Amino acid sequence: MLPKTGKKKKLKNRENSGLVFISPFFLVFAVFGLYPVIYTIYLSFYKWDGLAPSVFIGIKNFHRLLTDKVFFLSVWNTFRIWVCNFIPQMLLALVLSAIFTFNKLKGMKFFRAAYYLPNLITAASVGLLFNLLFDGDKSVVNYILTILKVPGAPFQFFNSGIFTTGLVSYIQCWMWFGYTTVIIMAGITAIDSSVYDAAMVDGASKMQTYIYITMPLIKPTLVYMMITSIIGGMQLFDVPATLTNGLGDPRKSILTTSMYLYNQGFKSHNYGYASAISVGLFVIIAILSIFSFRAMQNKGGTQDGN
Amino acid sequence: MAIRKKVKSSTIVMYVFLILLLLLSIVPFYLVVINSTHSSFDIVTKLNLLPGKSMGENYTTMQSHVNIWKGFLNSLLIAVPYTAFTGYFGALTAFGFAKYRFKGRNILFGVVLASMMIPAQVSIIGFYQLNLKLHLLNSYIPFAITGISNATAVFFLRGIIEQSIPNSMMEAARLEGCSEFMIFNRIVLPCVTPGVATMCIFNFVSCWNNYIGPLIIMTDSEKYTMPVMIAMIKGLYLTNYGAMYLAITISIVPIIIVYCFFSKYIINGLTVGAEK
Amino acid sequence: MKKALVLAAMAAAMVLPMSALAEEKTLEIWSSGEELGRFVEGFNEIYPDVKVNITVVPNADFLAKLTPTLANGQGAPDIFTGESDYVKYLVDSGFWEDLSADPYNVGEYTDDIWDYVTSVGSDASGAVRALSWQASPGSIMYRRDIAKEVLGTDAPEEVGAMLNSNEALLEVAAKMKENGIKMFASWQDILNMEFSNREQPWVVDDTLVIDDAMLEFMDMAKDIAENGYDLNVDPWAPEWSAAVESEDTFCYVLPSWGYQFVVKPAADKTVGQWAMCEGPVPYVKGGTWLGIYKDSENKDIAWDFLKYCCCDSEAQQAYAKEYGEYVSLKSADEVLAAGEGEEVLGGQNPFEFYNGQMEKKPSDLMTGYDGQINTVFLSATKDYATGILSKEEAIEQFKEDVATAYAELTVD
Repeated sequence: MLPKTGKKKKLKNRENSGLVFISPFFLVFAVFGLYPVIYTIYLSFYKWDGLAPSVFIGIKNFHRLLTDKVFFLSVWNTFRIWVCNFIPQMLLALVLSAIFTFNKLKGMKFFRAAYYLPNLITAASVGLLFNLLFDGDKSVVNYILTILKVPGAPFQFFNSGIFTTGLVSYIQCWMWFGYTTVIIMAGITAIDSSVYDAAMVDGASKMQTYIYITMPLIKPTLVYMMITSIIGGMQLFDVPATLTNGLGDPRKSILTTSMYLYNQGFKSHNYGYASAISVGLFVIIAILSIFSFRAMQNKGGTQDGN
Repeated sequence: MAIRKKVKSSTIVMYVFLILLLLLSIVPFYLVVINSTHSSFDIVTKLNLLPGKSMGENYTTMQSHVNIWKGFLNSLLIAVPYTAFTGYFGALTAFGFAKYRFKGRNILFGVVLASMMIPAQVSIIGFYQLNLKLHLLNSYIPFAITGISNATAVFFLRGIIEQSIPNSMMEAARLEGCSEFMIFNRIVLPCVTPGVATMCIFNFVSCWNNYIGPLIIMTDSEKYTMPVMIAMIKGLYLTNYGAMYLAITISIVPIIIVYCFFSKYIINGLTVGAEK
Repeated sequence: MKKALVLAAMAAAMVLPMSALAEEKTLEIWSSGEELGRFVEGFNEIYPDVKVNITVVPNADFLAKLTPTLANGQGAPDIFTGESDYVKYLVDSGFWEDLSADPYNVGEYTDDIWDYVTSVGSDASGAVRALSWQASPGSIMYRRDIAKEVLGTDAPEEVGAMLNSNEALLEVAAKMKENGIKMFASWQDILNMEFSNREQPWVVDDTLVIDDAMLEFMDMAKDIAENGYDLNVDPWAPEWSAAVESEDTFCYVLPSWGYQFVVKPAADKTVGQWAMCEGPVPYVKGGTWLGIYKDSENKDIAWDFLKYCCCDSEAQQAYAKEYGEYVSLKSADEVLAAGEGEEVLGGQNPFEFYNGQMEKKPSDLMTGYDGQINTVFLSATKDYATGILSKEEAIEQFKEDVATAYAELTVD
């Protein structure tokens, strides 16, 4: 009896060393991360123009939030842009990582590094670049289309909500597919390679091996990609903010929630409401994350042995 | 014959696909570098494909606005410790979450995830207030030290550790008398080096490109980082695009160096995994 | 006795600069543009023991940086600037010193300052909170060669006479079109001028007012867009900037900074081919104001600096001479108007032209809400001009957007 409880105690101590390992994170988070968050929540109950003293107004900001068409429109816009860039981006990254994993390619390292380059260009230069390509009758693309005698050219690209939304999704996908590829490959690298040998012996094709062996094994990485992409995607700000006039033109089609709250705060000087939007966005992101977490958990439930 | 031909054509398709993506990725980057050698007027009015002659002029304009090398140094002073903290403490925290079953584990991990979900735009006001109270305005500390609480790294590395460190491996180490902390340093950390290196690259980039934080916390322009300086070069009415692109080009160089440095470890990791 | 006095004076003379040196003060300034820094050298010749430290904050994020410091009462600079988009918001906030009161008594200087500079810098009670070293009178900047070819003359008075109403502008635009020339770089630029046709600002007594002039502008924009009288791009778009050197764009409707920062630096082949004339209405638009932070510990030297930039005619003359920028003091602009003309403008003296415009006292009608209202108005007008919305729908959208941006305003 006695030795057993001693062992249990030891085991408990051992498990608690996990707490010790995570404590630096939470210590720093408590000092630097928590305060700004609490301050934002605090502000969401106030009316404050940034300069005059703030006034407590209870849940008025949230009341407005729930009836604010523009807020919901912005959430929908952000979500749409995210979906339209996440799906192709993920597919592209999966295909690329499959190619890189199963083929001895010359220059694989170079390709992988080069795909990451778009991520290094600042949003401001991306905005300028795509303006050069598409804005105006004499823009590069219109110039080419006119020469090719495409009917209807020159086009007013930025007057089309569909085009502009698509362009933002494309830019996002283009900026991040290299990153996603590297992440997925890091997941693949962590797989014990003996697993593959068994599959190869069984005569599985590369494609089958990838889908049935690799993918389930890198599920934690895929979950990570999914969740962080939702979190980052729903906070999308700089590309759509610099691509057109900052209001999400044409007709708010690329107005994301982060842009909306920035405009409410630093342009309309309504920091209380901007904070309420922040809190609202936080709740939405949390719900989406939990939802997709659950969905992914169920899908591969059988593999989730430990 | 037929089979060989088939294999060949599929390889060709593959390479065409890869090269197409390569072009899409490299061209804009190439344009940024090329633009740094052109005058502002040329940049905003046409698509430049070949190097121009205005690089020296752009350099003079750039230096007349800001001391870019000071900004470079400032950015390094923030990004290097930040990246080191992110790699080490990210793995340590992830290890704690992945391999130990303590009370409140799930709730605490929820907090880690939730910490990524708050939009930064408004909370920056609170962040300023906090650093004012801590007397950390104009200091690199608030930026460098937050590498310790980098939720992205924890989340990612937790998955990697769960995936690649079997419990049996830890048990074996314990039998040999390793303490839990030693297990982390001697066994877990080397095994997950590829993951840590990956996180280091990306977090170096995001820290290096952080704009709004340093802009607001640094009230002394001597302390400005690269992205803030690049925004300053752009000017209010007069847009010094040439100088701006030159600064962007300069600012990309260390990222590429860091990428090359860490990608070595990503590959090393692969062979370690293969030997197992 | 005399000797002793001289000695004492000498001693004092020796001690004084030393004590001044020991007390060297630093003046912290945040500015949204770099132009203000051009005054520092001249200022230091008069005030050698003040170290002026100007931090340029990118304009897009100026308020994001300023707000936390003002809100917390710590870390704010002695002087900070305000761009025309939000200067009224800062003026009304009371964070700038009242310059009309003791010890500043700015009233002594305001006679020589162009009216709108002072009125924009004044709060609701009439107290002056901020001043500017610039004034931004409007113009239509056009191409002489095209004017000669299509209109038969390039003389500013004659061209101006042909453009003296909105209808006349559109008539000339049609004529230009016949000759394969785009009248405007962008119709959106015209809004700055049309603001001066208003009777009332956007907001009166916390209520949105849509002046008839704005409704008329919407139709004008539609006319221009439908007939293809402009380049069909937004201002600052690549093609808009390139139009300075183009073969087929007639004019920019822009105030003085448009000449400074758009036309002049880009003109190369077209040097000498530009001129300025008055449009349907004289106007002013834009500028950077500066004020003294109310809790500054260096108000005395802050005032010295502000006075030097905004109220010292000699300083402004030197500045205007060197940089060609139109300044806020009448006396300085008069001196410059007597000087030589600009090469880019084919010998026309912009100061002389601008003085004429300013003497007509164009109205400003700025409010603290303009930054956002102007943007959403342009956006709605664009939807109407490009045929996506009807006029009623566009106005409805505009009202909705204003109500969203400023919930505290009454919109009906």
